[in-house]
Amino acid sequence: MTTKKKAAKSSKSTGKSKPGAMRSTRAAMSVATNAHGTVKERVAALAEVPLAVCESDKDLQAVLNVVRNKEEAVEVRLAAMDTLATAAFSVIAFESCRKDYIATLREVAVDPDPQIRESALGLLAGLKDGFAQKKLLDGLKNPDKALVPPEKALQLLSYDVHAESYAVARDIVSNPPSTDARREALRLLAADATSAPLFEKLLRDKDELREVRQISASALHALKPEKLQEHAREMLLDTSEYEDIQATSLTALTQFGDDEAVGKDKVLLNSVDRLSNKAKSARYKKSARQFVSKYAK
Amino acid sequence: MKVELQINNSSNASARFVSWAPSPCRVRVIDPTGATSPATKIEITGKSTATGGVVVFRKSDTGAFSKSLSTAVPINGTSVPFFVAGRFGRPSLSNGDVTIEARNAATNVLVGAVRVMVRIRKNANSLTPGERDRFVSAFAQLNNQGAGRFADFRNMHTDVSSPQAHGAPGFLPWHRAYLLDLERELQAIDPSVALPYWRFDEAAPNLFTLDFFGVSNAGTVQFSNTNPLQFWTTDGVQGIIRGPRNNWNPATQPGPTVITEAQTLALGTQYPAFRGMEGNPHGTAHTRWDGYIRQIGTAAKDPLFFLLHCNVDRLWAKWQRLNGRFDPAQAASYDSNPANPIGHNLVDTMWPWNGITGPPRPPTAPGGAMAPSTCVSAPGASPRVRSSLDYQGSIIATSRLGFDYDDVRFA
Repeated sequence: MTTKKKAAKSSKSTGKSKPGAMRSTRAAMSVATNAHGTVKERVAALAEVPLAVCESDKDLQAVLNVVRNKEEAVEVRLAAMDTLATAAFSVIAFESCRKDYIATLREVAVDPDPQIRESALGLLAGLKDGFAQKKLLDGLKNPDKALVPPEKALQLLSYDVHAESYAVARDIVSNPPSTDARREALRLLAADATSAPLFEKLLRDKDELREVRQISASALHALKPEKLQEHAREMLLDTSEYEDIQATSLTALTQFGDDEAVGKDKVLLNSVDRLSNKAKSARYKKSARQFVSKYAK
Repeated sequence: MKVELQINNSSNASARFVSWAPSPCRVRVIDPTGATSPATKIEITGKSTATGGVVVFRKSDTGAFSKSLSTAVPINGTSVPFFVAGRFGRPSLSNGDVTIEARNAATNVLVGAVRVMVRIRKNANSLTPGERDRFVSAFAQLNNQGAGRFADFRNMHTDVSSPQAHGAPGFLPWHRAYLLDLERELQAIDPSVALPYWRFDEAAPNLFTLDFFGVSNAGTVQFSNTNPLQFWTTDGVQGIIRGPRNNWNPATQPGPTVITEAQTLALGTQYPAFRGMEGNPHGTAHTRWDGYIRQIGTAAKDPLFFLLHCNVDRLWAKWQRLNGRFDPAQAASYDSNPANPIGHNLVDTMWPWNGITGPPRPPTAPGGAMAPSTCVSAPGASPRVRSSLDYQGSIIATSRLGFDYDDVRFA
């Protein structure tokens, strides 16, 4: 049966099997691996069998086969992958399954279906799998080889950041294929100490996307917190600064600032007091009022 | 005359937190001026706001609770014990929103008072904005730059350490201790904070917002500019990777294929059957997402992980209450299989709090001893598996761990 035919059958499902319905594991496994069952029934059944795959090699192989089988509906293959990911939480019992599990994930990481690829690469990246990391990096360097969109590849590489990833991320920041990819490249570079000047520049650039400025503030907080505190103060004193960026500055000072220094800074307190009256957003007004009440004592 | 009210048998203001399980307290005369007899009758009551916490009292560690308590207190300074508990269904909204008053029963003159909090773990979706903001602030500060105390908690829950905490009977006790340790560290930052839970079998429109645990956008989580979680960092990387799988919207839908609370509680009345919940709903709730929370090694990088596990723990607590499974000596309360690996037997100490490293334990033990509490003495610096079971002190009062859930009664 083709994927399309199975999807059509899914839409006509009677829904007899309620998600999580209590039936025997045997019965659930039988439905889960029955190629003639509806997608809905099989997805529900697969959610019931994660412990079974740890206890029976036959059941493990049956679920792995569902993941690998390109003739199966994508929804069922994804659900089978979820079953294995859930089973992996039972780490002791799953240990004997791990080798086959990872081999299967690597096999389907290059599957024709993009959802299958992304799901498998997501699991492998979380395991810091070298095969997946190489595939992701290759795809970023050569988009013709990309298995997932660049923003997803950068997200997955950030699970285990290496120097080679920084170089690729810097290239993407300079020449981004999309705003999402640039954002993810910046998130990854937040782990790179040499990128602090870049984040200072982006944070203070009023022409920059606000989301990028917010990420830059967070990155700077991790890399050079004292620099963020300096910039946050200056941005709060800058009457031409955007309110949302001032709110981020205020949050940085309130949560992570030097309470004694902030409390003595009358210029800053007066500026925030003005913000508490003039801010257009009620949320920012409230935030400014809380700041003033905390430090004006 | 003046009396001192000691909550949790302590004069320390930081001990003035109670839950549904009764807290041992004392009252003693500290200034007998005006007293005319060897003992003075005192009336102890709780004064609450319309929506805040409410407390109840009893004289001994058994018996019914009441709104007030009369007791004779010697004027020579000898302490008189009593017990106070939060009234089920009326947790506090803020620190000190309940006042315990002591009045001279004969004159109705106020002779002593302390402000307390009925500090209870609540559904994250039901927190007030104030409760939400305090919790988020404390969590962000614990994480500070990814280098704060939170880094220990992130490093406790990894692929290397996972056999200590997963796939065997100690799964539930270990995570109970883990959450307690984290909660106590949060309370060291803001004592009014209790860890909330995410009910993964229900929609959570108030949790998955920009002001709380964020909204997923193309796989990463966005926060509002006033939310301190915008500064979240783990392992040097900024932000949180988390996105619902398969078009699921956690704000409007329960976790797909996650079994319900009723189904979880019906898994069985014996612990070996109930602990099957490690698969579904626990594991299934993890794998409804893409991102950090989907796997053991990275799950603790996402603060949502702790709310997910708080719900797992609440389900265990509810199951324990439903079936009376608090006593480690009762076979049905645990799975004491002789084949259990180390760290999963009732008498075993738990890593990393025991500080033991090297096979079969992990190579390092991040975080040191269990954080202490000013309210309770249990579970001690190096808890054992058995320490997690009697969390309300139902079997032995001193086993009380100092937390309770909004929908799980004491007795």
